[in-house]
Amino acid sequence: MSFMLTLVTQERELISEEVDFVKANGVDGEFGVLTGHSPFISLLDPGELVVRKGEALYSYYVSGGVAEVLPKSVIILANTVERADEIDEQMAKRARQNAEEALKQPISEIERRTYLLELKRESVRLSIVARRRSTRHPGQISEE
Amino acid sequence: MPSLRSIRGRIKSVKNTRQITKAMEMVASAKMRKAQMRVRDTRPYAEKILELMVRLSAIESHRPNIFFKTRPVTTIGIILVTTDRGLCGPINANVIRQVNKFMADRPGVRFEFVAIGKKGQDFLRRTGLKAVGSISGVKDRGKIEEILPATQVAIEEFQEGRWDEVWVFFTEFVSTLSQKPRVEKLLPIGPDVVEGGGKGASPFLGEYLYEPDTTEILDVLIPRYFESIVFQRVMENFASEYSARMMAMRNATSNAKEVIYQMTLIYNKLRQAAITREISEIASGADAVQQG
Repeated sequence: MSFMLTLVTQERELISEEVDFVKANGVDGEFGVLTGHSPFISLLDPGELVVRKGEALYSYYVSGGVAEVLPKSVIILANTVERADEIDEQMAKRARQNAEEALKQPISEIERRTYLLELKRESVRLSIVARRRSTRHPGQISEE
Repeated sequence: MPSLRSIRGRIKSVKNTRQITKAMEMVASAKMRKAQMRVRDTRPYAEKILELMVRLSAIESHRPNIFFKTRPVTTIGIILVTTDRGLCGPINANVIRQVNKFMADRPGVRFEFVAIGKKGQDFLRRTGLKAVGSISGVKDRGKIEEILPATQVAIEEFQEGRWDEVWVFFTEFVSTLSQKPRVEKLLPIGPDVVEGGGKGASPFLGEYLYEPDTTEILDVLIPRYFESIVFQRVMENFASEYSARMMAMRNATSNAKEVIYQMTLIYNKLRQAAITREISEIASGADAVQQG
């Protein structure tokens, strides 16, 4: 049983098709959606969005946004999205290193929080990249 | 009869004009292609968030929220999207005509504006209408940050009760040959914000579960909704501007060609007449010499 998934940002539309399963990172934790889910709306934290269609798994980095889940459709209004193959690994690594180093310095509480968030963001990005590398298809990750 | 010299001068100047309009046509058509793509890319988000907001507005418990509540209208805020530059056909004049009609249809209501684009600013200044904010020089690159100053002003005016409704006026991109002036209500959010009752919007009237909670989600969604729609409308306006300019310049170029053709015809006739006259003068001069 599949349902309609729409993944859009203000600047482009990434997905608009029937899929079987979606996993996203809500503010209150990860959630997975299958067809017939009861309606809910959740804000999204930066994290990975996993989409399963048939046997194939696709992975995206979503920086935040809102997900609307209805029994027969899921609409994700994301702030920004990177497809797994669009993630710049070098940049993510550098950013993570920067954040790590900054966290070692004595800094204010607000700064510490921004860097922690940054660290988390980059770690998610890098883990998506790492998993993608094990398969040949762009955007597709190996079966978990 | 104009002199040969003056016609030659005029042909030259029209040729210059043709060159300029030709160049502008080519620039506009290159920009148009990109702008059209951007319109296609930005439409889905705007559509989806609009549908979502309409669904949310139908839920009873959201009614008290200021952005969903209809109130008696004494002041209407208008976001007027126009181009920065002219020479783009009638699109700005058409939008402004819509504004005038809109105001004439609503006697006794006050109107205040936020202008996006120089042409709209000029119009407001000329007519002495009140602009609470205006931005110009927005780039067509498709970055939402550039229009945020305008949307923030509008949201604030509405939230603090100075505006009772917010509408947006812009030119919708239909095709390269056709651009339509459009009027849309953005706030308060209700079923009437979608034209034609919301094509394709599934009328979900049940209650959702919210994570974290309703207020927080609406606080995020409402400004997002407003920004995204205005942003998308600005992108529409860009595509319309470039298409209209391309067509206007194409017409100007072909008009110039026609003028050049006509003037060249006159020029050649005059030139031949002058040659004929000269020959006959020489011939008659020679005749007179021979006979004498």
